[in-house]
Amino acid sequence: MQRSFIALLSAALVPAILATPSLAQQKSITWWEHSNPPHNNYSQELVGEWNKKHPDNAVQYDFFAMTPYFKKLSVALSTKSAADMFTVVDSLLPSFTTKDVLAPIHIDWLGYKNLDDMKSAYLPGALDGYIHNGKLYAVPVVSATLSLYINSDHFKEAGLDPEKDYPKTWEDIGRIGQKLVKRQGKTITREGFDFAMHSAQWTMWYMEGLIRQYGGSILDASGTKCTANSDAGVKAMQTRAMYVRKYEISDPTVSVATAALPADDLAKGRVSMFITHAGSVAQFGPAAMQHIKVVPFPQVNPAKPVTVVYGFAIAVNPTIPEAKQKTVHELIRFIIQDPKGWYEKTAYPYPSANFLKLPGLEEARKTRYLDVFVKDISTGSFATRSPQFVEIADAMHRAMERVVLKGDDEKKSLDQACADINDALKQQ
Amino acid sequence: MSKPAALRWGGRLITVLTIAGIGLVLLPYFWMVSSSLKTGSEVFELPIRWLPEHLQWANYPNALSRWSFGTYFLNSTVVAVAVMICNLLFCSLAGYGFAKFRFRFREAWFILVLCTLMLPLEIVLVPTYLVVRQLGLVDTYAGLIAPLAVDAFGIFLMRQYIRDLPDSLIEAARLDGCSEFGIFWRIILPNCKPALGALAILSFRDTWDQFLWPLIVVSKNALKTFPLGLAQMEGIDSAAYHEIMAVAVVGMLPAALIFLFFQRSFVRGIALSGVKE
Amino acid sequence: MSLRAGSRAIGDKSRIQSRRFWKGRPFHARLRTAGFLFVLPALLFLLIFKFLPMLDALRLSFFKYDLMSAPVFIGLQNYHTLWNNPLFHQAFWVSAKYMFGVSIPEWILALGLAILLNRRMPGRPLIRLAYFFPIAMSQIVVAMVWKFLYNPLGLVNNLLSYIGIDRVNWLSTEATALPALIAIGIWRGVPLFAVIYLAGLQSIPREYYEAARMDGAGPWQRFIHVTLPLLTPTILFIVVLSLISAMKVFLNPLVMTEGGPNGTTRVLPYFIYDTGFAYFRMGEAAAASMVLFCFVLGLTLIQLRLLRQGGPS
Repeated sequence: MQRSFIALLSAALVPAILATPSLAQQKSITWWEHSNPPHNNYSQELVGEWNKKHPDNAVQYDFFAMTPYFKKLSVALSTKSAADMFTVVDSLLPSFTTKDVLAPIHIDWLGYKNLDDMKSAYLPGALDGYIHNGKLYAVPVVSATLSLYINSDHFKEAGLDPEKDYPKTWEDIGRIGQKLVKRQGKTITREGFDFAMHSAQWTMWYMEGLIRQYGGSILDASGTKCTANSDAGVKAMQTRAMYVRKYEISDPTVSVATAALPADDLAKGRVSMFITHAGSVAQFGPAAMQHIKVVPFPQVNPAKPVTVVYGFAIAVNPTIPEAKQKTVHELIRFIIQDPKGWYEKTAYPYPSANFLKLPGLEEARKTRYLDVFVKDISTGSFATRSPQFVEIADAMHRAMERVVLKGDDEKKSLDQACADINDALKQQ
Repeated sequence: MSKPAALRWGGRLITVLTIAGIGLVLLPYFWMVSSSLKTGSEVFELPIRWLPEHLQWANYPNALSRWSFGTYFLNSTVVAVAVMICNLLFCSLAGYGFAKFRFRFREAWFILVLCTLMLPLEIVLVPTYLVVRQLGLVDTYAGLIAPLAVDAFGIFLMRQYIRDLPDSLIEAARLDGCSEFGIFWRIILPNCKPALGALAILSFRDTWDQFLWPLIVVSKNALKTFPLGLAQMEGIDSAAYHEIMAVAVVGMLPAALIFLFFQRSFVRGIALSGVKE
Repeated sequence: MSLRAGSRAIGDKSRIQSRRFWKGRPFHARLRTAGFLFVLPALLFLLIFKFLPMLDALRLSFFKYDLMSAPVFIGLQNYHTLWNNPLFHQAFWVSAKYMFGVSIPEWILALGLAILLNRRMPGRPLIRLAYFFPIAMSQIVVAMVWKFLYNPLGLVNNLLSYIGIDRVNWLSTEATALPALIAIGIWRGVPLFAVIYLAGLQSIPREYYEAARMDGAGPWQRFIHVTLPLLTPTILFIVVLSLISAMKVFLNPLVMTEGGPNGTTRVLPYFIYDTGFAYFRMGEAAAASMVLFCFVLGLTLIQLRLLRQGGPS
């Protein structure tokens, strides 16, 4: 009986399988992105608009879960089966540009005279992350930075004024955190402050910020040797770890954060201060944001602010014919033509030079901390450019884990990280 | 012959403990379903909340409508059923061949089969993708199915099971003039129900699970499978876990159904030598 | 349908033809061909979609390949690099620990469960159904649910707090991350192996137990002298299978701990995946997968040899 059932089922399936949805080559442009709502929603809106105006060059838009997306992209690029255009995160760009799998962007097709002309239309440094050997390889659509989010309710509860008394330096965080932390016996039930611990990418972002603030860098100028274990690096790591041991306002074991919801501790009120990116404003939603205030990224020296930016940009597949590349550039122009729309729909500021002066953003500047984000973006620089970025990030992440979770000595841990990183760099 | 009282009570205790053990084993399921019906903030409440205050049935349509889960579900089902059928057919054929026949290089072929079991698909992803691309199967159902259509584990399982079937059954059928395939279809298969049942469930489950392979071989939204959809849910606004659990519960249903369909064969246990319990 | 009725249905003509086939030398040749034909379809699939890619991986292990540039031949250098890579050694040991940490309890617990489920109990089919149900749960759902349960505010810590154990961050503490994953592996594997054991237990004829009981053997002695010897092929089958499956595990660490903390859950397949796809060192990844392959194959061949020697076929 079971066998006849199975036979029947297979008979039914065969035509289903053979009649795969007709996915033959349509005359369309393919665009891949990573999963990141509400950004994806806006992209789909734009695609819809474009398709109405250009039925002959309809866009096929697909997006994929974030981390595996870049693996898929790599495989596709290596087998020359990638989409016509795809969104990349800035830190992975060197892996692609050094291997010639991206098409250089034709600046003139975007409406600029040359690269300098284009740079002047953007915030200072906003394009640097996408330039390799003097050529631009991707056009930014999202520019983000890390900022300090504080829970204003907790501040008021502790007798502090969130408008005036918020921390400006890392030491400030320690001191203020001690007034905000809550304990039950020896266990911390509400952290004063914490960093996100869940991903090497995030670790790189804030460690880069810290090291640069102390005047150092993770790699030397030529990008061939690790300098993370310099004095600046050790100081950065000490700063990173001091909230656990010195100030005792932080307890990594208390976190409920996951890769999906890295700022969840903050949203749930389990930590009073947290560092996260600009998109969190939209992710938390207006209800939660009533209790949260955003202030600039903490500094070692507030007079000379140093911040970190990252972003997502659209790159072009070099294997498509020139005529199609031209259409793709038109599409990109279409996508980025409305920076205000980008911000309103996705909560990510757009790094155009005149962004803050655009009409209609006054309310956002007041209630959604646009000023804070744009200011930090203007003083920001991109994370270390290296084809070995992921290995470097992993090494730094492990070093951080050793110090924060196990209490290892900072210099020893960074020495180990540099050994790992130098090994990785040798593989080039 | 009646057992002494102590033994009877001891036996009852063991039975009770066994039943209690079920609670432990099924606790994750219970938690999954319970969480799928909670609100976002109830999910991680302290002290622990076993049952939601009100059943949030709306979680299900909310979560499932975000993306084309209907499509993903359908695709996963088609692919998993196809792979299941292929495995049932090809693995039992091969298992029979390896178990009851002698042919040249049989042991060598079997070692080869075993070899394919040693490396997970994820590791040979790129070479497999290249083969599939060469055959023009990228972005097709066939491309999703083909690399999974035969799992060496299934051959191993069927061979092991069929080996224990008495040769006399086969000899008798041959003497009666039954064709070789006839013997397979009419004699061997009906006697393999427990192994076939287990194989059906496992190949369905493992195919349903596949994440990296569909990610690489498929780009069109129309062909995405369920795990790809589930992974896309990560990265939504703060209140997502209850919705993720809702989607996970729904995602569990097909495998559960297949399990319930095939479980009779080995839960009630069909002993080979026909000995009743 | 009975055997005789079925074959009679085939008809006289084929019977005469068959009789002619089954005479003399062509008989054995016919059987050989038949056997091979049975095996052929599966072999073809495996050759094309599994073996060929594996050969390609072997080839790649001698090249430097970053996925996007053309591969460059470098002989055994990848293996040399691996040998000097502490992360590789760590991954290897993590895998070995995971493999045996999951398998050995599985062999014992699954047998215990099978014996329990073989007893006469009221509602036995339902009880069996309940215990076997986790088999149907897909890996990715298992990973997500357990991640949820192991959350510092999740169920596991909550239950443990009832017996006074302090909150532990299971997945973020070096000492507990791997054991936590091992526990999940066991939870998942035991029902499946219990099914296989159960089938094995049920094929042991009652008469043997009766005979042993009449000889005065107690339950433990019956177990040692009747059950275990007759179960040996099943046991060895499960040993091989459990070790191979445990070696391939990869989704759980990927989803739950991303190999951390500090690489303590980065099993070898995960290391290979990262080295190839995240670090763009496919040649080295291929070399590591060859090492993995040889290790598991070696282990399996040893066990198969034992299988051939021990127990009735």
